[in-house]
Amino acid sequence: MKKSAIFCILSLMLLIPISQASAGELGDQLAKESIVEKIQRDKVIRVGMSTFVPWAMKDKQGKLIGFEIDVARQLAEDMGVEVEFVPTAWSGIIPALMTGKFDVIIGGMGITPKRNLKVNFTMPYDYSGMSMVAHQKKAEGFSELKDFDNPDVHIAVRMGTTAEQAARKFFPKANLRLFENESQALQELNLGRVHAVVSSAPMPVFHALKYPDKLFVPLKENFTKEPIGFAIRKGDPDALNYFNNWIINMHASGFLKEKKAFWFESREWEALVK
Amino acid sequence: MLNKPASRWTLVDLAVISAVAAGVIFFFVRMTQVLEYQWEWQAIPGYFLFRDPETGHFSANMLLKGFGTTLKLSVWSMILGFILGTFSGIMGAKGGTFGRMFSRFYVETVRNIPSLVLVILFYYFVSSQFLDALGLDQWIRRLPDSAARGVAFFLAGAGQINAFVSAACALAIYEGAYISEIVRGGINGVSKGQWEAAWSMGLSQAQTFRLVILPQAFRRTAFPLAGQFISTIKDSAIVSVISVQELTFQGMELMAATFLTFEIWITITLLYFTLTFSLSRTISFFEKHMAIRQ
Amino acid sequence: MRHRQHLIAASVFTVVLVLTVVIGYRNLSYNWQWYRVAPYFFSFEQGQFMPGVLLQGVWVTLKISGISLILSLIIGTVSAFARLSPYLSLRGLAWCYVETIRNTPLLIQIFVMYFVISPVLDLSAFTSAVIALSLFEGAYSSEIIRSGIVNIPKGQWEASQSIGLPTSVIYLKVILPQMLRQTLPMLAGQSVSLIKDSALVSTISIYDLTMQGQKIVSETFLTFEIWFVVALCYLSMTATLSFIVRKIESRIRFVQ
Repeated sequence: MKKSAIFCILSLMLLIPISQASAGELGDQLAKESIVEKIQRDKVIRVGMSTFVPWAMKDKQGKLIGFEIDVARQLAEDMGVEVEFVPTAWSGIIPALMTGKFDVIIGGMGITPKRNLKVNFTMPYDYSGMSMVAHQKKAEGFSELKDFDNPDVHIAVRMGTTAEQAARKFFPKANLRLFENESQALQELNLGRVHAVVSSAPMPVFHALKYPDKLFVPLKENFTKEPIGFAIRKGDPDALNYFNNWIINMHASGFLKEKKAFWFESREWEALVK
Repeated sequence: MLNKPASRWTLVDLAVISAVAAGVIFFFVRMTQVLEYQWEWQAIPGYFLFRDPETGHFSANMLLKGFGTTLKLSVWSMILGFILGTFSGIMGAKGGTFGRMFSRFYVETVRNIPSLVLVILFYYFVSSQFLDALGLDQWIRRLPDSAARGVAFFLAGAGQINAFVSAACALAIYEGAYISEIVRGGINGVSKGQWEAAWSMGLSQAQTFRLVILPQAFRRTAFPLAGQFISTIKDSAIVSVISVQELTFQGMELMAATFLTFEIWITITLLYFTLTFSLSRTISFFEKHMAIRQ
Repeated sequence: MRHRQHLIAASVFTVVLVLTVVIGYRNLSYNWQWYRVAPYFFSFEQGQFMPGVLLQGVWVTLKISGISLILSLIIGTVSAFARLSPYLSLRGLAWCYVETIRNTPLLIQIFVMYFVISPVLDLSAFTSAVIALSLFEGAYSSEIIRSGIVNIPKGQWEASQSIGLPTSVIYLKVILPQMLRQTLPMLAGQSVSLIKDSALVSTISIYDLTMQGQKIVSETFLTFEIWFVVALCYLSMTATLSFIVRKIESRIRFVQ
């Protein structure tokens, strides 16, 4: 009895320092494995993105431009590293992040509960909402959300986006046509094969302005509002902290507001593209 | 066929040609009238080459770069696929029961799954397990500038390397299955008498294989293999789904920004056609030439 | 004796393969959630069988492949005869068709058909997918059928002509049966390719097996599970077809 008690105390005494050390080690290890550390070691941040006009697109010379591109470039500059963009099909971008094809998604990704089960999100650096552009002849007289919720109505969206989710939620009866690229969905609309395209503002409005005699914007306001954040792999508190504080700083300095005004409120950038 | 082909033009020819012409005219009239499509062909050359406003030099733009990537990708997947296919083809022809089974398993699995599904599976599954562990991108980043540029020229830049290599491997596995069958057919096609003659001369089995059978088999397989290379170029369009920046992908990116859908699709089709058609003509020219000489 | 050796080798091979898969599966740092896959296949609601989206996708894939197979055989036969016809223009037309199709990627053909040609002719997505696939396979079938006709020995023609048969009868009663016997295995192989190639129509938003898989992945992120299941579905479809083809082939050889 006595022996075992001594043994217990001894082993407890042994255990305490060990467990303390292991907690410290664990913290060290987490910090070492953080992507913030890895980015600094490799001197490069790998950013997963996909073409979304005007978030990210190619200009006349094939260089990447857009709101997200400016954000990612600024982030890289503040970290003192190079930036490397990894264009990825949108429907597979979360699996690609999870399997380590890049460090972070900066691609206008809406923070949704479903996505959040698989990846971590930073605090929002932007807010967007769903908007709609419709074909004048096909969707004549449509002015409300419920006009589109009809089995005869075809709506084109990009696969795997929050636009797809919103379309499913608001137009459960309508036929959804899913495309891998946004340009294909818009092409469908221009050709008059679908009634409308749902996508993040301000793209639908810009597109309607481009083809004023064919298209129109049926709803004057966005019908959803969603926060936009960076997505990173789970289990990396350091990166989350770093990116969050970077975003707070950028909100405070007015950088995000200025970029937003250039890409989303003006159309000056259109001259860069075509 | 007994009826000799005529070389004179007849009334039937006239009817066929006018029907085709009518169809083409109808198509373009509808295109301009119904769709009110405005052609903007003048924008296209700029997407091949553009003059850099800073340096004044001409440099390659998206379509030309994409075309280059398509070529690189096809060559690499053909090389890898050739190694894999030859290995599996020899096993299938002359390996033991085990080798034959391995070869059959590989060929049948790959030939019965769509290449699209194979590429996607490989990109997410295999490459995330093995390729990322290799750390190719980090290796390239540590290289000196000139070497890194060389790697980018022959393979891909650091940012693209993982997608490029997994696409090349996936295509190689896909084409390898077909090459395996070509090689197996080539080896089996060498007549038995050759083996017997070599043995009777006292060559060992390995020597026979290396000195007698393989050279003959390769002569038989050269043209089917060249044909397979053309297929590889065409099949490489599929890897645009995993965002390798080859011709099809670049074209789609360009359409997203410019909406010149018709012009760009037609240009891309013509590019693929010119490349594969000229290659296939060259191959069949040599094939005929060789056949005559033999 | 030889048979038993084969059996042993086959079982060793299978065991090694299964072991590799199991070990790879265990070592993977991936959270497998197979239990979430089954409802996408089928479910029972109040004892009633409900096909899931994947099964619906299989049906669409089979439907598209089936229709395209029939159309491609018609197109292939017509263009094969056009290439062998005495008229220059028909020969030229068929040659242009075959070369264009065989020298461009199918993916591009599908996109061009859907985004360039079909808006002008006002075709639906399904129709353009079927047309693109049948034109594609038709070009390859055309070459197979043509070689089938060309390879029929000249004596057959001479013999039938010497007994005074008209051309149409020669084709129908003499050439066609022989040609079928020669080309059927190759054409059957084409139909296996057709099922595989039909995966590409997912890019123009046809809800086939690949598209359904892609959709589920983009919603649930069950990347590996779904893609493995999709691959297995294709494998079983094509394997079944190959099996039937082999049966037909052996029967034809038996007749010969």
